Amino acid sequence: MNALRPLQPLVGLIALATLLIVLVIAVRAISANAGFLVERQTVFLSFLGGLLVVSAVFAWIVRRSMRRADSTSSRLLLVATALALASPLTLMLLQHPAP
Amino acid sequence: MDMLLRRAVAALLTLSGLLTLGYIGISSYIAEELVYEAPKAIVKAPASLGLRFANVSFPSRHDQIRLKGWLIPGVLSDGRLTVDRTIVVVHGTRTNREDPAAHLLELTAALARNGFGVLSFDMRGMGESPAAPLSMGNLEQRDVLGAVDFLRSGRLPFPELGRPRIIGGLGVSMGAASLLMAAAGEPGIQAVVSDSAYAEIVPILEREIAKRRVAPIGRIPGVLAPSALVMAQLLYGVDFFAARPVATVANIAPRPLLLIHGTADDYVPINNFRALNAAATSVPSAHVTTWIVPNARHAQAFKKTGAEYVTRVTAFFDAALGGDRSAVGAAA
Repeated sequence: MNALRPLQPLVGLIALATLLIVLVIAVRAISANAGFLVERQTVFLSFLGGLLVVSAVFAWIVRRSMRRADSTSSRLLLVATALALASPLTLMLLQHPAP
Repeated sequence: MDMLLRRAVAALLTLSGLLTLGYIGISSYIAEELVYEAPKAIVKAPASLGLRFANVSFPSRHDQIRLKGWLIPGVLSDGRLTVDRTIVVVHGTRTNREDPAAHLLELTAALARNGFGVLSFDMRGMGESPAAPLSMGNLEQRDVLGAVDFLRSGRLPFPELGRPRIIGGLGVSMGAASLLMAAAGEPGIQAVVSDSAYAEIVPILEREIAKRRVAPIGRIPGVLAPSALVMAQLLYGVDFFAARPVATVANIAPRPLLLIHGTADDYVPINNFRALNAAATSVPSAHVTTWIVPNARHAQAFKKTGAEYVTRVTAFFDAALGGDRSAVGAAA
């Protein structure tokens, strides 16, 4: 079990992102009957709120993992997590370089 | 050394976390702006141009959004009214069935005066139709299909005129794109006039998003455009990537298709027209006519050419739909 501990941030990131998507889909389904104007606002605010909560939880997971990261492999996994986190932006920058 | 490495990892995680958070947050804000715009009020009605009409309401196909529109009977040369050949007129984005910028009501009136019934309606989220996400044609094609269903089996005003024998469609800009996609799968639309349609919307949206300004950050970096389109799909179920008339336009054959585009169109550049024409004519049974209007800007072909536009379009519909066969009708 201890061997899997360094994977926590990466697994946590995937789990939190999935949770946020599920939350948005649920909010959309619930608010759809109230009309699109309500749905639009509700979904947007729920997503932003969820994003902040997810960020806070993720920061807590990372901080805990940083304290326990005492081997090179666990630190490398944290670097991999950072790269995974930045991958959407990196991919876009690679496809759309600055003029 | 150990502490230095630890700090470097922490800094990397913080930086990537903050950048990604900002990236997703701003992208979702752009997506929210992209999928809706407050509707514009309708100022003029067909009566202001001396035409009889009735307000109508009908559901879109599949998702049953209640759309508002006008049914305007055509006026024959002897003054009789008719809906024997009815044209579904589809307006562009962020406007309504009157569309003053494209002079759409005047074009609608010209069709009616040339003996064509016209069903002109507000697409979802625009004019007097209920609020709904803007999808640049992907969902709006259901509105066009709803209009066809209404003409075929809905409760029509002017019951003395009967039901349309044959249906055509005329669309401008996003209306043309929606019409092309709808007609590709709906054989009930017997002839299509597409004015200023795009081949696919994503390249245009990516260009337009990069021109926008958001209060705290100013001009939006182009790098945010693709993610904003993804966020629109994730948050609101709006799939802009599916708004690609070029993928299905060939299915309109063998029904006649008239493609119109202005050479000075800088919103939907003329390469879109070429892509659509190439795709539409890729099948042997294609029946495509084209008209490139010199120096016409986006959706301004009718405004620029006036009578010539009406002559070409009515000649196209006359050839494609045949003459009026209504035996009786009410006096205008």
